Amino acid sequence: MRTLLKLLSAASLVAALGAIPQIVQAGGVLRLDEVAVGELDPAKASDYADSILMFNVYDTLVIPQQGAPGHDPHLAASWEGEGTSFTFTLRDDVTFQSGNPLTADDVVFSLDRMQTIGQGLSYLFVSVEGAEAVDANTVRFTLSQPYAPFVSSLVRLPIVDKQLVMANLGEGEGEMGDWGQAFLSGNGAGTGAYRVVSHNPQEETVMEKNAGYFLPIAESAPDTVRLRYGLEAATVRTLIAQGEHDISSQWVPPEVLGALSGGGAQLLTEGGVTGFYMKLNTTKPPLDDVHCRLALAKAFDYEGGVKIIAVTDEVSQGTLSTGAIPAAMLGANPREKAQTRDLDAARQHLADCKYSPEDFVLEVTWIGEVPLEERFALLMQANFAEIGITSEIRKIPWALFAEQVSNAETTPNVSQVYVTAVTGDTDTLLYGMYHSSAAGTWQSPEHLNDAEVDRLLDAGRTGATPEARQEAYSALNDRLIAISPTIYAHDSQSVFAASNRVRVPALSDPAMAFGLDGFGFTFRLMEMTE
Amino acid sequence: MTPTILVFARRVGTSCIVLLGVSMLIFAVARVIPGDPARIALGPSATHEAVDKLRAELRLDEPITVQYGHFLSDLAQGDLGISLYTNRPVVVDIAQFLPATLELIFVAGAMMILIGLPLGIASARYRGSWVDNSIRLVALLGVSAPSFVWAVILMLLFAYFLPLFPIAGRISDTYAIEQVTGFLTIDTLIAGNLGAFGNAAWHIILPAFALALSGIGQTARLTRANMVETYDKPFIEMARSYGVPDRRIAGRYAFKPSLIPSLTIIGLDFAAMLGNAFLVEAVFAWPGLSRYGVSVILRKDLDAIVGTVLIISATFLIMNLIVDVLVTFINPRIRYSRGRT
Repeated sequence: MRTLLKLLSAASLVAALGAIPQIVQAGGVLRLDEVAVGELDPAKASDYADSILMFNVYDTLVIPQQGAPGHDPHLAASWEGEGTSFTFTLRDDVTFQSGNPLTADDVVFSLDRMQTIGQGLSYLFVSVEGAEAVDANTVRFTLSQPYAPFVSSLVRLPIVDKQLVMANLGEGEGEMGDWGQAFLSGNGAGTGAYRVVSHNPQEETVMEKNAGYFLPIAESAPDTVRLRYGLEAATVRTLIAQGEHDISSQWVPPEVLGALSGGGAQLLTEGGVTGFYMKLNTTKPPLDDVHCRLALAKAFDYEGGVKIIAVTDEVSQGTLSTGAIPAAMLGANPREKAQTRDLDAARQHLADCKYSPEDFVLEVTWIGEVPLEERFALLMQANFAEIGITSEIRKIPWALFAEQVSNAETTPNVSQVYVTAVTGDTDTLLYGMYHSSAAGTWQSPEHLNDAEVDRLLDAGRTGATPEARQEAYSALNDRLIAISPTIYAHDSQSVFAASNRVRVPALSDPAMAFGLDGFGFTFRLMEMTE
Repeated sequence: MTPTILVFARRVGTSCIVLLGVSMLIFAVARVIPGDPARIALGPSATHEAVDKLRAELRLDEPITVQYGHFLSDLAQGDLGISLYTNRPVVVDIAQFLPATLELIFVAGAMMILIGLPLGIASARYRGSWVDNSIRLVALLGVSAPSFVWAVILMLLFAYFLPLFPIAGRISDTYAIEQVTGFLTIDTLIAGNLGAFGNAAWHIILPAFALALSGIGQTARLTRANMVETYDKPFIEMARSYGVPDRRIAGRYAFKPSLIPSLTIIGLDFAAMLGNAFLVEAVFAWPGLSRYGVSVILRKDLDAIVGTVLIISATFLIMNLIVDVLVTFINPRIRYSRGRT
């Protein structure tokens, strides 16, 4: 026993002497966190963490313009086309991290792979019949029908190294085996500015600067990036306060973000393409009556909702909504037309509703995995009570919610959902929510079936010019406010606490922001100040 | 066949039957949890075709008995299926995450033994004194708050206000250690890197202590209670009358008979920590199996749920087996009485 104690003492001493000096700030190393898991395979990327990985390890033909709507060529040097045919000319100076040159075959392969695997955001390309390599540097996409957001969808088509993947096919059916899924779940095969050093989907992904990147990367950009997964808010708070972490995830509660800000951390923001919606089931009494829906929409305290998620006096996790479309997107109303509470109007609509508030109890749900939603459920309960509507709050796990909404009968009266335009285009925000053909998913618990809404959505999807699309979406926005299948609670804004070791113009200067969630975390555009 | 081997063989047989029962139960229960695993795995925007395809690949359209048959057949080949959460074989995930948790609970278990038992002995030996009262108070504190509360308190005290220990992870970023056993404290020694060993050991202290605190309190209280009872036995009185020193009476005559219940509790606590480590792992960003287990349950990752539960159950049974064997060796009466039955 004594010998054992001596050994333990010696080990503790070694630990103390050898390890304590390691509490130092890591120059050139950026440390940030996101919720687990980080999906490295770009064909399966859908979450925020996946997007961060994808935008840094891989590149796309086009990228969103910085500080303005529209897209810039990226791996593509230029493109032309409209309707159902688009031709892209590739840059001739791009090589993959493996050293293989980028060719049109890689683009064709990347599309085929994504469509075959059918996961992640592959649904964005269902209208693409196929791609063909016209020559080594030219690729032509053919669509089955006109799809105006096609070019913006390409920000979600990362180009993978065909040669490398083909050399690493795993077991599976047919000639292509697993299409390299096993390999790409742990390795990178892109042209991106950062290469994967190690990847543990539950712990962290370590990336380092790709010296052979085809664009110049500033010296001050982080040399190494450690993307950590699943850190608790208390842990993040302590790590940032101790200088051992640089950027928090957006999922940290507003109180913790506020405390970090009070302690000297900077607050970074990204927004413009996500809305927070209170979805009303339009097929079940009492919300199958438009007046009952409008009564709820007018009774809701929009300003109170934004205060709930305020981080500081200046920064909030949301801004006042102007309608169904977040204020920075095509078809949105101007900021001055923010949604407001009007209790008199609410009472009038309730009087016009064919259902009496004494005859029903409204079921208001919140998703168990998003504790913040409970506060909004309580806010709604209090707001609706003011016009005489009784409601009961029910917590519901995401998996059960996704199952219940597939049937209008089992869909709750009111449910809360954040919806993001994954390409930044209004079509990817609204079509899945309101087109009658898309009813009954987590995005569309309204089960809306409105011919005018369908017509305007189709007009926006096929509009030949930005002006025509703007007109269609603007009219759609008005229509959606008029029939109120949803309470447009607020335009969501992601807020991140960050140490002062890092400067992120895309997340701190609106003129440098990208209209695409996660793209602000393009590491090559960040600067380490120490 | 000696009585001990007979007892051991019986326990191994019983454990295998229990494991089979657990596998049936968890296989069925995992499929009853609300939600379509294929839909959850593919994300809310996946097409119906993709969801149907994955359901077919997972054999979810087949009767549950047929699915279980496939599971047993795959299990016999060491295949626990693919995790929909990490998109990797479940065996690979478990191999990566289990060592981290085992390392954590081994150290926590060692703390329970090295701190809990001496505290219990001292408390019994100095019964009624300020030493006894102080230890009982500390032990009560240890058992009265759950591990995750201690985790947050310890982090605040010893990492935030007094930055003596690291906050998160298993080792500092500056070390790159090749994984051999998955136990970082061992792998660093294999690599011959003493600095890294010290760093890994330094990282494990707070989470292991947070996890062990409840067990330390329980062990100390139980050891004290048993020893106090033993102190009243005639053979202790006789030892005193022969002038045997107090220290020897405590360590040799009073402690040994009191060890069996403590050992049983330590064994059970040790195995239970595998499941309870989740929140401690979450607070200290410890990439272990408990955290993985909770994540896969929330995502209804069927193969991973069954694999994780089986591993935790197997560990629990193995620990029970080890405790039984130890107890048999410590107390020959148990050995022989079992042999006769």
